[in-house]
Amino acid sequence: MTGELPVGMIALTLRVAAVATLLALPPAVALGYTLARHRFRGRSLVQALVALPMVLPPVAVGLGLLWLFGRRGLLGGLLESLGIEIVFTWYAAVLAAAAVGFPLFARACEQAFAEVDPRYERMARTLGASPLRAFATVSLPLARRGIVYGALLAFARGLGEFGATAIVAGIVPGRTETLALGIWSRIQMGDDAGARALCAASFTLALAAMLVAELWLRREAPPVAPAARS
Amino acid sequence: MSGDTCVRARVARGDFTLDVELRTDARVVVLFGPSGSGKSTLLEVLLGLCAGERPSVRIAGRWLDDPERRLSLRIEERGLGWVPQEPLLFPHLDVAANLRFGARRAGAAAGRALAEAIDVLELGPLLARRVDRLSGGERSRVALGRALASDPRALLLDEPLASLDLPLRARVLPYLLRVRDAKDLPIFYVTHDPDEAQVVGEWVAVLDRGHVVATGEPRAVLWSRAVLPLSEALGLENVIEARVRACGDGAAQVETRSGVRLSVPAPAPLAEGEALRLGLPARDLLLAAEAPGRISARNVLPARVVRLEPADDGVLVHVDAGDALVAKLTRDAVRALELAPGQPVFCVIKAQSLRRLA
Repeated sequence: MTGELPVGMIALTLRVAAVATLLALPPAVALGYTLARHRFRGRSLVQALVALPMVLPPVAVGLGLLWLFGRRGLLGGLLESLGIEIVFTWYAAVLAAAAVGFPLFARACEQAFAEVDPRYERMARTLGASPLRAFATVSLPLARRGIVYGALLAFARGLGEFGATAIVAGIVPGRTETLALGIWSRIQMGDDAGARALCAASFTLALAAMLVAELWLRREAPPVAPAARS
Repeated sequence: MSGDTCVRARVARGDFTLDVELRTDARVVVLFGPSGSGKSTLLEVLLGLCAGERPSVRIAGRWLDDPERRLSLRIEERGLGWVPQEPLLFPHLDVAANLRFGARRAGAAAGRALAEAIDVLELGPLLARRVDRLSGGERSRVALGRALASDPRALLLDEPLASLDLPLRARVLPYLLRVRDAKDLPIFYVTHDPDEAQVVGEWVAVLDRGHVVATGEPRAVLWSRAVLPLSEALGLENVIEARVRACGDGAAQVETRSGVRLSVPAPAPLAEGEALRLGLPARDLLLAAEAPGRISARNVLPARVVRLEPADDGVLVHVDAGDALVAKLTRDAVRALELAPGQPVFCVIKAQSLRRLA
């Protein structure tokens, strides 16, 4: 193991994090937009609930997912009847990564939409755009910077996800063993050198993801501030 | 004939209440008043952007809101071309794409509407420009162009010149007037500038603290006793529209619409035929009972007193010098000259007190 690049494990880790990010994208954008644009009762409660997976013990998040997607879970039974098995497959790792990355993603989206002057959307409406088209052609592109940044954060978070993943996906070498799980199992086996090698790979991936996120923020000029009110 | 406009609206926002009722056959409606008087809020009502009590809105015979029929068109169905105080050009689109965003609504007429907007507002050279690379005046023109390209049923212009400095206003106003005259479009024109109100509109509604305090022909309304304190506070003066006849030696000869010749200062040369709007404060207009002899003032016009109207701090003397002008004199001066309607007088105007407006 030592000295060899754990190519399969890296590929799985990247795939899990990428699919999890894509999975979280629509709800994160929808929720972020709703929270940024609407003031409603219980808004703070929703915000707090959304943040929970970020602060709960990841193991608890994993248990929650297990209750939902396990064979006797709320959704697991339904999915099983469709022939889809989640628990102890890489899908479960995707779900775990999506769950823990979602709070970062949704919050970034909320901030991104909050920075977009709602009057642009109103202008689009007066020019004949339906609410959906005004969202898609004005607010969404104007919030792009923050949304992509949120996606990169969620992706980076997914790369390192361990606790929830270990519970729902288990550690099945070749199938669900991502880098984080791999490090844990190497330590369990007393393979310190192997653990160090995987740590190095983890470190490199995480650094790369965060670097891309920071570079993106810098490259994308913030949207033009509307002329100050005179 | 595009008249038949009627608006009834009530909006309460905190301790501000807009409560207006308007009815007019005029095509170009000026909403005039100080800031905070509710002009922009009224536009928002027309646009359907303002939640509030159900308004009743009919523009040029077309109903947008009719509480009796439970009709209330959605924002995107109203077909209005809105140019807000801040142009709100979409920052992620270039000028051409901003214009196309508007033109999308025009449907089959999109090509024509777009071409016309580009032509009237001379937007051709700007098309590839990013909107953050536009000057203030260019931004205003593009915002107006986007509204026009949408082939609107009416134009709503919210202080389109307010954010521009004077030289820029002089460049943008002609475009606005061109739009006004090129199309038979109903226009709502919001302004707090009495000069603009007199130049742009055929009918004005004066708003103050959420209420309509006067309506009618702009000159008559703005100089009326009821509105005068408000319009004077906002800089009311005589507005004279004229064309350049000749120019030289720091002064230009201009001719007003009614054929009156005036001498005006021209620090920079003016092209012959150029249209000018000149401002002349009522307090700077001198009246003489007899023709003055040698005098430094370059403009002495024979005129006739039309009527006298007392104001709080003097008397407004309306005279007909070919153009209708208003002089503000002290009561003492009116007595000394024994001014009365019908009496011939001479208007004495220093070239230097004629200020070039937008």
